[in-house]
Amino acid sequence: MSVRDRARRALQRLVEASATERALISLASLAASILVGAGIVLVAGRTATCEEAAFVLATPRPFGVPELASAGFCYDPVAVFDRLFLGALGDPASPGWDPLNGRMATTLRETAVLVFTGLSVALAFRAGVFNIGTQGQLVVGALATAVAVLWAATFVAGVVGTVVLVPFGVLVGAAFGGLYGAIPGALKAYADANEVVTTIMLNFIASGVALYLVRSVFKDPASPANQTIPLPDHALFPPLLFAPQFGVSILALLFGLLAAGGVFVLLRRTVFGYDLRASGLQPAAAEYGGVDARRTVVASMTLSGALGGIGGAVYVLMVLGKFQTDVPAYGFDGITVAILAGNNPLGVALAAFLFGVLKSGTTVVQFATDVPPQLVGVLRGLIILFVAMPEFFRLLGRRVLPRNRAGGDAVAADGGSEPDGTDSRRGEEP
Amino acid sequence: MEGTRRRFLARVGAAGVVGVAGCTGGPSDTGGDGTPTDGTDTRTGADDETAVGMVYATGGLGDGSFNDQAQQGLFEAESAFEIASQEAQPEAVGEFGSFQRQFAESTDPDYDLVCCIGFLQTDALTSTASNYPDQQFMLVDGVVDTPNVSSYVFAEEEGSFLVGQLAGSLTTGEFAAGAGGTDPESTTVGFVGGVESDLIRKFEAGFTAGVEHADEDVGVVTNYVGDFNEPSGGKEAALSMFDGGADIVYHAAGNTGTGVFQAAQERGRFAIGVDRDQSLTKESYADVILASTVKRVDTAVYDAIEAAVEGVFDGGAVVSLGLEQDGVDVVYGQQLGAEVGADVKDAIATSRRAIVDGDISVPTDPDDA
Repeated sequence: MSVRDRARRALQRLVEASATERALISLASLAASILVGAGIVLVAGRTATCEEAAFVLATPRPFGVPELASAGFCYDPVAVFDRLFLGALGDPASPGWDPLNGRMATTLRETAVLVFTGLSVALAFRAGVFNIGTQGQLVVGALATAVAVLWAATFVAGVVGTVVLVPFGVLVGAAFGGLYGAIPGALKAYADANEVVTTIMLNFIASGVALYLVRSVFKDPASPANQTIPLPDHALFPPLLFAPQFGVSILALLFGLLAAGGVFVLLRRTVFGYDLRASGLQPAAAEYGGVDARRTVVASMTLSGALGGIGGAVYVLMVLGKFQTDVPAYGFDGITVAILAGNNPLGVALAAFLFGVLKSGTTVVQFATDVPPQLVGVLRGLIILFVAMPEFFRLLGRRVLPRNRAGGDAVAADGGSEPDGTDSRRGEEP
Repeated sequence: MEGTRRRFLARVGAAGVVGVAGCTGGPSDTGGDGTPTDGTDTRTGADDETAVGMVYATGGLGDGSFNDQAQQGLFEAESAFEIASQEAQPEAVGEFGSFQRQFAESTDPDYDLVCCIGFLQTDALTSTASNYPDQQFMLVDGVVDTPNVSSYVFAEEEGSFLVGQLAGSLTTGEFAAGAGGTDPESTTVGFVGGVESDLIRKFEAGFTAGVEHADEDVGVVTNYVGDFNEPSGGKEAALSMFDGGADIVYHAAGNTGTGVFQAAQERGRFAIGVDRDQSLTKESYADVILASTVKRVDTAVYDAIEAAVEGVFDGGAVVSLGLEQDGVDVVYGQQLGAEVGADVKDAIATSRRAIVDGDISVPTDPDDA
């Protein structure tokens, strides 16, 4: 059998995989990435120098036979992965586990922001637009939220203030993020400008302009950092269950899950969503079928930008409590989250959680072991690569394999009614 | 086919094992009797050991200036006292609080002191310190006014003043040394900053004032690259300054400053380093580095650890480290320092005394200069 045929067979199997199989494949990928990662940790543990071994591999010594060989390693792979996953949740296996601990809070905090940036990227992807500019839209939304809420916070106070100010801040973030997303959308629709280039450039413009504005107009005179005046507590997402210093709010997380559900319904159950997906799959056919391609591009980019802007609003109103330059790369992580989720809005929530665990776990690993953060970054990248690849090849397989081979059986096998956005596409294809 | 694959895997595996075994590093003591030595020993340690946690600034270790300088202080303390340390390198501003809390909450070991490096940690520490009143913290480059935080700030403008005076004196004359030379016709010097902020503007203010002190006719061109880790941007900024007639460029831009050194070498001009003696840390550029302002972050870290070890931790205090306290200073380049004329060095030494005595007051904002 030629290599080509083998590759085709493998792709075919991925394309036809049922939901359960796909879940199992993801778990297997995760396990494989941990194995490979453990190998890398061991090798790195030999190349590094340290005074005492953190981990020792020795030949077994049955019946008191003297040991033949043993090798010490500077880093302990078991401890690394234990801290990376369990540490990020605050040790759920240990007795007296408090689900409201600081590590869990960090995980959920990252998750809440990444849900929005992931949705932002996924939505644009589904419309066939590569929005690399979520980061810029997030920065614009975050700054607008911080300035607008700071202004509005002087008018209302107390619980009423929270009820008014938080939705107001989110709306402002969405509006500004949306407008900023509409620019590359319009440029693509009416001037045929490649959105990858324009969105990347607009990212630089966003952070540059934000730095200028924060330095010269909105600066907090009391702080040496480039930041706006901190917002009062009543203007922030209420922490509810978690301790306030953790910077996480269950409300924001629920809001994120709602947004994921909302985008899912929008894509699956509305005319606009249908147009959007149709344009993404086959622009020429969609236009022939009566979809206004230009309007769809602008609308989807606006919506995508709005989601990015809400991510910025959540970052300001939940994590920092003010705008500060050097916003972390949530927008770029959103691209990974979207790919990890196969651009499925519900999958985005799960992928964002995995990403949150990895981000929070990284800090726990650093704290608990001597492993350098760069190495943890490598492990993080490996896990994401391994988990994303089957999904990537599945998408690839659907494109390269002939229709009758890729479709037919699979539709019969899972009934074509999987409650999952990616699969339903098949039914609508001409 | 299957057979070949299995053989291939076996070979790869074998090669891997050999490769791992052949590595020169690894622990120096693997435990002769085969008992795994517990890696956590270094951290838990005996009761009389002082446990120190370090939370570095974003940018992390290996930056050749700020964070490495702080780590230097930790190393000095490690060789002087019985301490166990743990280091954390946050990637983003949002992680500062998370690391500070982990250190404060830890009971095994119970950290005696948590060192927070960099002014961006100020806000996070303000909240962390009040939530963990029993934990001792030290902060570099910022001030937190709670009884369990000892704050260390530096008078960067004072050191910058002296190198400004050096640049202003040399640019007007004809000076050639190492790989560089000045053009007596042109009397301009330059300043390249990283991200514009009040802290970096202190460097600019001191430098400008020093240049003016040396010669009122010398102009200063300023550029902020907008990044602390972008050598190509620093190079572009410095090249345009050199091409515009500047002889000497001072940088306060972290790793972006490496580009300034490259530009100086390319154009045969001079540069002045920052934070550490950069003619040592960036040795390949020693032939263009006239001098460096040093900021003794290591002294601050060492002093705080020493205080914690001896149980005389001074919470709530703000320690200001300027020329007088040897917190900032000027070191001449290893290679070029000897070439600088004695008259220039004497004048700078005079200014140094005048600043310490309060006869010269150095501005902290370039707009006030």
